[in-house]
Amino acid sequence: MEDMYHMDRAMMTQQDTKISAKGVQVYYGDTHAIKDVDVEIADKTVTAFIGPSGCGKSTFLRCINRMNDTIDVARVSGDIRIDGEDIYDPRVDPVQLRAKVGMVFQKPNPFPKSIYDNVAYGPKIHGLARNKADLDEIVEKALRRGAIWDEVKDRLDAPGTGLSGGQQQRLCIARAVATEPEVLLMDEPCSALDPIATAQVEELIDDLRQRYSVVIVTHSMQQAARVSQKTAFFHLGNLVEFGDTDKIFTNPEDPRTESYISGRIG
Amino acid sequence: MPLSLPLVVILGLCLAGWFLAQSRAMSVSAGDRRKLASLPRQHGLNTVLSTAIPALGLILVWMLFGRLFSDSWLANSPLVFQGGVIAVALAGCLWSLGRIRIDFRARAAAERWIKGLLIFASTIAILTTVGIVMSMLFETSNFFRDYSWTDFFFSAEWSPNFRGDSALGILPLLWGTLYISLIALAFAVPIGLFAAIYLSEYASVRVRSVVKPLIEILAGIPTIVYGLFALITVGPFLRDYFAQPMGFGESASSVMTAGLVMGVMLIPFVSSLSDDIINAVPQAMRDGSLGLGATKSETIRQVVIPAALPGIVGAVLLAASRAIGETMIVVLGAGAAARLSLNPFEAMTTVTVKIVSQLTGDTDFASPETLVAFALGLTLFVITLGLNVFALFIVRRYREQYE
Repeated sequence: MEDMYHMDRAMMTQQDTKISAKGVQVYYGDTHAIKDVDVEIADKTVTAFIGPSGCGKSTFLRCINRMNDTIDVARVSGDIRIDGEDIYDPRVDPVQLRAKVGMVFQKPNPFPKSIYDNVAYGPKIHGLARNKADLDEIVEKALRRGAIWDEVKDRLDAPGTGLSGGQQQRLCIARAVATEPEVLLMDEPCSALDPIATAQVEELIDDLRQRYSVVIVTHSMQQAARVSQKTAFFHLGNLVEFGDTDKIFTNPEDPRTESYISGRIG
Repeated sequence: MPLSLPLVVILGLCLAGWFLAQSRAMSVSAGDRRKLASLPRQHGLNTVLSTAIPALGLILVWMLFGRLFSDSWLANSPLVFQGGVIAVALAGCLWSLGRIRIDFRARAAAERWIKGLLIFASTIAILTTVGIVMSMLFETSNFFRDYSWTDFFFSAEWSPNFRGDSALGILPLLWGTLYISLIALAFAVPIGLFAAIYLSEYASVRVRSVVKPLIEILAGIPTIVYGLFALITVGPFLRDYFAQPMGFGESASSVMTAGLVMGVMLIPFVSSLSDDIINAVPQAMRDGSLGLGATKSETIRQVVIPAALPGIVGAVLLAASRAIGETMIVVLGAGAAARLSLNPFEAMTTVTVKIVSQLTGDTDFASPETLVAFALGLTLFVITLGLNVFALFIVRRYREQYE
């Protein structure tokens, strides 16, 4: 496992498919929000979803961990598989699915609990720790992976809501990785952060790629170019173009992608 | 006090001022309203307010403090008072008419009058509270001149009589109040809270739109009707099916009867306040928890309720202060016997009931038997005030978290 970290990054992007979606449709009431989207997301890769507001990129992201189930009016059809397993199969428990597919939200949303309890929340629910020492270890590991351990190690009992915005978001990332997910979904994780905090989170995303398949929705094309290996461009509910990030940004095939990237639409 | 004449004159002056001010404003601007700093009707409004407010204020002051001068010549001549009021109104009217210039900002002047009115309204609410407390304090101090305060606060016997050897210990009454309130809260808090959780987290929009108003109807039932329900239905039911078979007593009036019915009365309080508070917990909290693979009930138990807890505690404390002040349900449900007992199926009574019974009938506000009502009232006031302050304190701390 340790050797994997030292492998060439180019090699690592050539992983198996982690998530595969075919013919996905989403309706919010009468609105057709996602129209027939097919996409294959690779393991141990950062995939960026870009596109103008309301194009459906967040909606599609929320299909991957079935968060749309919590919205009454949303209907999802089509086929989404993680490791070949249909996640919309009636036998699949969305609650267990979400333990496997972690999510980080647009606005940092720490619970009104201590920093420790914020991170311990997921492991406690899923019974990942056998005892207190075990839990302490999980929390420390998660906080280290969230690149926030050094800042909070002396005040784990302080409320998570008292941290700065960037620290809160890294706490939320730590909270999400504490349940050992296989996929990490990030819905505009830096939109509420200043440039310094953004840089910290982006660095963190690059680290996370070594263990997880990361899908990030972003409004910033620079951010997509910086952190991702694959980019998907959504427009009006359609997946317009999907490919290597370098190619999308330098030599897009679809004229709509080109217009968006050069700032003519959006 | 002959008030009708000054009131009619003030009304007339206001009407006249309204039209005069507008026409005067037009004439100073030579018919061009764009030259005016304020619109003619704003000049009119300013004149009306300047006429009415000082004159009405004088009437109010006279009604409150006029009797202080009842010996002097002022009080004996209604003409002086009437003339004074009319003079003030006329002066206000003329003064504001005289101020009308092209550049006079009547809009700002009227605004100041209105601000004054609003301040006055809020002061009245505060002064009334102060007045209530003062009158209670005054009568209570009279009571403690005749009756020892240690006996009042620490004696366990309550047996007033008008021969002059009454025992007026508050403890049995306070015990009854707290016991009944406790049963009421033990009943209302879980049911109200669970109803609120169902309504805010599980119920569909359609169910919610039916159920929530239905629960709130409970809040609109007069407490005397609850009392009747306790008297003819709940009391006999509890006696026949619980108290008698289990050997707890024969009384239909009991702490349990009053407590349960009061609990029903409090359900809409707890549920409606808690529902609002639970709804105020940001959706991001729920998403965060669901996104980690928590179930709905885990999310509610471990994230939503803890986040809403300070507000829910505030709601419970508000319900508690209502329970402590409740009278009618107790009179009809729990009886009027002052008693220190643990048996919930025995008749007991509360502070509020005894206040009523000490003050009904012929009273002269001189004997300790009647004055004790004020001491009881003040004690109750201090307790509920304490609870309310505590509730406000908690609710305020809660607010700081999400704003």
